[in-house]
Amino acid sequence: MGASPHRLRDALAGLVLVLTAVPVGGALALAALHGDSPCILCWAQRTSMVLIALTGLFVLRYGPKPRYLGMAVLLGAWGTFMSLRHWALHMARDVGQGFAAPILGVHTYTWSWFIHWVVLLAIGVLLLLLRRADAEEWPSEPGPAGRVAMPFFLVLVAVNALQAFATTGPPPFLGQGDPLRFSPDPRRWVWSMGELSGGFSLRGSWTIPQPDASDVDPDPTRGPLVELPVLAVAGEERVAAPLVGALSGLAHDPASGRVLAVTEGHGVYLLDPGLHRVVHRVRVDPGFSIDLTPFAGAAFLGDSLAVLSTNKSYVLLVPDDEADPDREWRHFRETDGGVRELGRGRFATVRARQMFVLSLAYDPSADELITVSVPSPRHRLLVVSRFARSDLKLSSEFEPRLGPGLELAGEGRGLGDYVVTGATVADGFLYAMSAAYSTLLVIDLEEREVKAAYAVPGLERPVGLAARGSELLVAQADGRIAVLDRPASGSD
Amino acid sequence: MEFLNFLIILWAAWLVWRRPEREGRAFALLVVSCLLMALLFLVGTHTSFVPGVNL
Repeated sequence: MGASPHRLRDALAGLVLVLTAVPVGGALALAALHGDSPCILCWAQRTSMVLIALTGLFVLRYGPKPRYLGMAVLLGAWGTFMSLRHWALHMARDVGQGFAAPILGVHTYTWSWFIHWVVLLAIGVLLLLLRRADAEEWPSEPGPAGRVAMPFFLVLVAVNALQAFATTGPPPFLGQGDPLRFSPDPRRWVWSMGELSGGFSLRGSWTIPQPDASDVDPDPTRGPLVELPVLAVAGEERVAAPLVGALSGLAHDPASGRVLAVTEGHGVYLLDPGLHRVVHRVRVDPGFSIDLTPFAGAAFLGDSLAVLSTNKSYVLLVPDDEADPDREWRHFRETDGGVRELGRGRFATVRARQMFVLSLAYDPSADELITVSVPSPRHRLLVVSRFARSDLKLSSEFEPRLGPGLELAGEGRGLGDYVVTGATVADGFLYAMSAAYSTLLVIDLEEREVKAAYAVPGLERPVGLAARGSELLVAQADGRIAVLDRPASGSD
Repeated sequence: MEFLNFLIILWAAWLVWRRPEREGRAFALLVVSCLLMALLFLVGTHTSFVPGVNL
């Protein structure tokens, strides 16, 4: 396989012309016609394309030396990364949303990815066509197309330099994250060094550690709310049935009296009302199709069961003595044969995005599942998210406000200091148990307000909360269940 | 800084076109421009080097 050096040279000159004229020249046309102004990332991507074209000029002039081809590959790879990084800022937005003018329905940062990808393909083709002797036989003159490409390139780069001067300014000023509309009028020019402010990070706001409620401060007197009434533990029970892994969530079925317990090791246990016997058990396979981080909460949905991972991914199960073991093999690592998986999915949140959860509740009157976010070093918020059972999509979200009589301990304190590890709904109230500061919050779901809060001393690593008639069952990681008298409303 | 980078590119392209015997200097300018471009991109992504999505 091979082509004559002259044909390769002319083809390369054509590529340089196209690369210079279409994406780089097109960007200038967008500026002139629509006032399109590149952001700092766009500038880097455009510069990368200019540098690839310049590398092409090097090859035209000096032949296909390894360092020029290597430089073109590096630029293509780096440009692909830059484009993906830039595209990622907008790729998850809603339909029609983006940044700057689209071309054929595709924004320029996405076209940049395509162009860099094509550049890598073109270099691959060039290398395939090159013969060993081509470097020595490469013409010393750039040829007719090359003689057009070189001055054309210079003119285009000069015009780019003028636009860069107008929109980014002379050194040390640099490009901006949100540039203004381009104008040739110097009175409209804004030069800035704002991008230099702030720290540097590898993952930014996505640096969210997995939640760990085992090392929080359990002392209610150091919590964000002051002068809380004490709700004493009225009794203690224990999950006597053998569980594999630490208990991480609890639910109670008012119809059957059964209890649903989940463990950190992805174990799901349907227990008899006395907590002595395992009625059904499975160990869910946490991988494949939807990743399940450690289980954090459980709820009865009538006859079926919902279990939730800390990453807001859920599994729906149903007890079924006639479950097909071959069909369920793909879902479970272990099973007693009496459980069937209905499906699994992921809850999508807005306000609680980038936040983990450690609890799940079910509101039968609204037919909604409820999660409560836990804080991280980057987000200190307490967000209640509600999901319709019908389609398991977000119905509403809110950050509860403080009701009358509740007072924060000082500046900088807030409900986001709590780490809710158990939640349940009863009589229209969401009861949320925080492992941090051992505090029970009573949240009115209609008014979206914390009606009351109680200090619950004596708990040791609470991980789940269930309502049983007039009682609340606080599950602790070691299997002990603290029994509380449930406050009937927030006002008493 | 983007303006400065385009001046560097202009200089390198001029050498390639009109002063081809200065290949080494032109290539050095190309390398400097690449590094400056990469640096400016990193400045622009200082809040998160890798894409802000699930990896």
